Amino acid sequence: MVQFYLDAERLPAFVAHLMAQKTVIAPHAKGQKSFTFETVAEPDQVVLDYPRVMQSIRKFFLPPKEELLTFDLTENSYETTEVEPIDAIFLGVHSYDVAAVGRLDYNFSVGSPEKNYLTRRQGAVFVGVSFVPDSYHFSGSVNIRPEDPTGCDIFLTKLFEGYVLEVHTPTGEELIKGFDMPAHDAGRPATGHFQQHIYVPQTRLSEIMEQSYDNDVWAETAEQCVGCGTCNLVCPTCYCFNVDEAVDVTVTKGHRERHWDGCMLRKFSEVAGGEVFRESLAGRQRHRIFRKFKYISDTTGQPWCVGCGRCTAACPAHISIVGIVNRLISDHAQAVVAPI
Amino acid sequence: MAEKPRVAIFDFTGCEGCELNQLNFEDQLLDILAHVDIVEWREAMDDRAAEYDIAFVEGSLSTPDCITRINDIRRRTKVLVALGACAVQGGINGMKNTQAIEEVREEVYGEDKYLFPTLPALALHEVVKVDYNVRGCPMTQIEFLKLFTSLVMGKQPIEPDHAVCVDCKLKENECVYERGMICLGPVTRAGCDAQCPSVGQYCTGCRGLVTNPNLSGMEEILVEHGLSVDEAWKRLELYNANDLEGAR
Ligand code: SF4
Ligand code: SF4
Ligand code: SF4
Ligand code: SF4
Ligand code: SF4
Repeated sequence: MVQFYLDAERLPAFVAHLMAQKTVIAPHAKGQKSFTFETVAEPDQVVLDYPRVMQSIRKFFLPPKEELLTFDLTENSYETTEVEPIDAIFLGVHSYDVAAVGRLDYNFSVGSPEKNYLTRRQGAVFVGVSFVPDSYHFSGSVNIRPEDPTGCDIFLTKLFEGYVLEVHTPTGEELIKGFDMPAHDAGRPATGHFQQHIYVPQTRLSEIMEQSYDNDVWAETAEQCVGCGTCNLVCPTCYCFNVDEAVDVTVTKGHRERHWDGCMLRKFSEVAGGEVFRESLAGRQRHRIFRKFKYISDTTGQPWCVGCGRCTAACPAHISIVGIVNRLISDHAQAVVAPI
Repeated sequence: MAEKPRVAIFDFTGCEGCELNQLNFEDQLLDILAHVDIVEWREAMDDRAAEYDIAFVEGSLSTPDCITRINDIRRRTKVLVALGACAVQGGINGMKNTQAIEEVREEVYGEDKYLFPTLPALALHEVVKVDYNVRGCPMTQIEFLKLFTSLVMGKQPIEPDHAVCVDCKLKENECVYERGMICLGPVTRAGCDAQCPSVGQYCTGCRGLVTNPNLSGMEEILVEHGLSVDEAWKRLELYNANDLEGAR
């Protein structure tokens, strides 16, 4: 594989080179300490050194709100809202967020394929960038290293005042054509250590989860959890949505819309007649954790959590997913050593 | 649609901000009027009618006379809709209920207090059956329009019951806790499109609490961010004193 050295000073020129070919979507600073993926207007506004973006690039393929169709009540007709592929370069994506897109691809293609997501997914090009784990990242525990290029056409690994640029696909080769960079042959550095770890691999987690249905941690966590749904809504592998209809004030036309939803929210489990089948916050928390480490994982062998740390970092009650999982692991280990 | 629904609008104790808010629907007012007959509205007209299909009621109930009037309205209307925080959950007016009623009378009316009988400020649902709510202080316009079209079409309106945080996440707002502010969004009912956090402000809880809020969890969050337990509850009570009675 070919490697080049991209000096940090030449980054804006590199971004401009990409912009000459396609729309570029990359991280930008937002607010006082946050980051967000946006379409690049000014190459020098791109930030490649960031801990995590508030919302992963899922928001482009599965928008927070999207119109599915419009209808006309006077003519009794409807029209499906057309969706276009996102023909863009996603620059500066972390390995866990690329992995999360892979998980969503599975969710939206297995069973009954979901047209809107799959249409938008066509055409996306990924230029990944390595990250330095902060106190919330734990993707290493789910086999996603900071410098893992899986799924990327080009990957940038931070090295001193620049990046080792690796080309992984023919698409990547096309992208750098005409942009001169010195070759690099000194390999890539590993980019730091994780401060957070889940103690056992997924191969053992399914069984541990199986034994943890009645663990006290669910009720204990529910004392702090306020059920705000933030942990679902910031998760790059969450894909739940709800569908609503709205009629405009002329009462002649309207639209059907879908928007993100989450299993920590009370109404999520409300069914016809007003019954809520997962009323307790303890039950909802267990469901969320099982969705990440058991239910889909039992079928795929993969954890459905990519270790980005967003749910913990954004939780107003500081509920830690790593804390919960490790607690289940240690309670299970003790139960095995000393059966009651 | 057969006959146009007859609509009446009433106000009780409040600032009338909610009603004025309706008058601000410049772009939509004609469309609204095309679908209903407004038969009673003190603020905008003088006619009085005997019966209505929909009564929109704003403000909380704070005198014996209010109780008589709201019962009368309830008898005359098929559907009763509470408009705004005061009507839905008591709102700011509910703050007076956290103090002794005699002191409140004295404070407001001084020596004339015996001329002005007063009650604890009550939300409409504490006295009569309320069919639907339009929350917010002042009431959230988009929610009013949604409810309005649902009622005109004879459909069951959907009332949001998730935290304001959800809408913040949908809009990818930076959480105001990141800016050192204290926000009630985690237990406040959404529907305003996270109006305040979207402009860098904290949520004061004007749309009321979500169903079954974890109040001790919220208290813990507020205390962790520097409030005393007492200050934490005062914050929560700003718009929700009636719902929080006895919860502390
Ligand atoms: S973000 Fe935290 S408080 Fe909110 S629902 Fe999730 S675990 Fe509970
Ligand atoms: S569960 Fe939490 S840490 Fe895991 S992928 Fe989702 S947001 Fe990231
Ligand atoms: S809810 Fe707010 S705006 Fe409406 S009447 Fe009460 S104080 Fe005024
Ligand atoms: S700003 Fe308030 S409402 Fe928004 S996410 Fe933060 S706590 Fe929730
Ligand atoms: S953000 Fe909170 S205070 Fe602001 S309008 Fe919405 S519910 Fe009311």
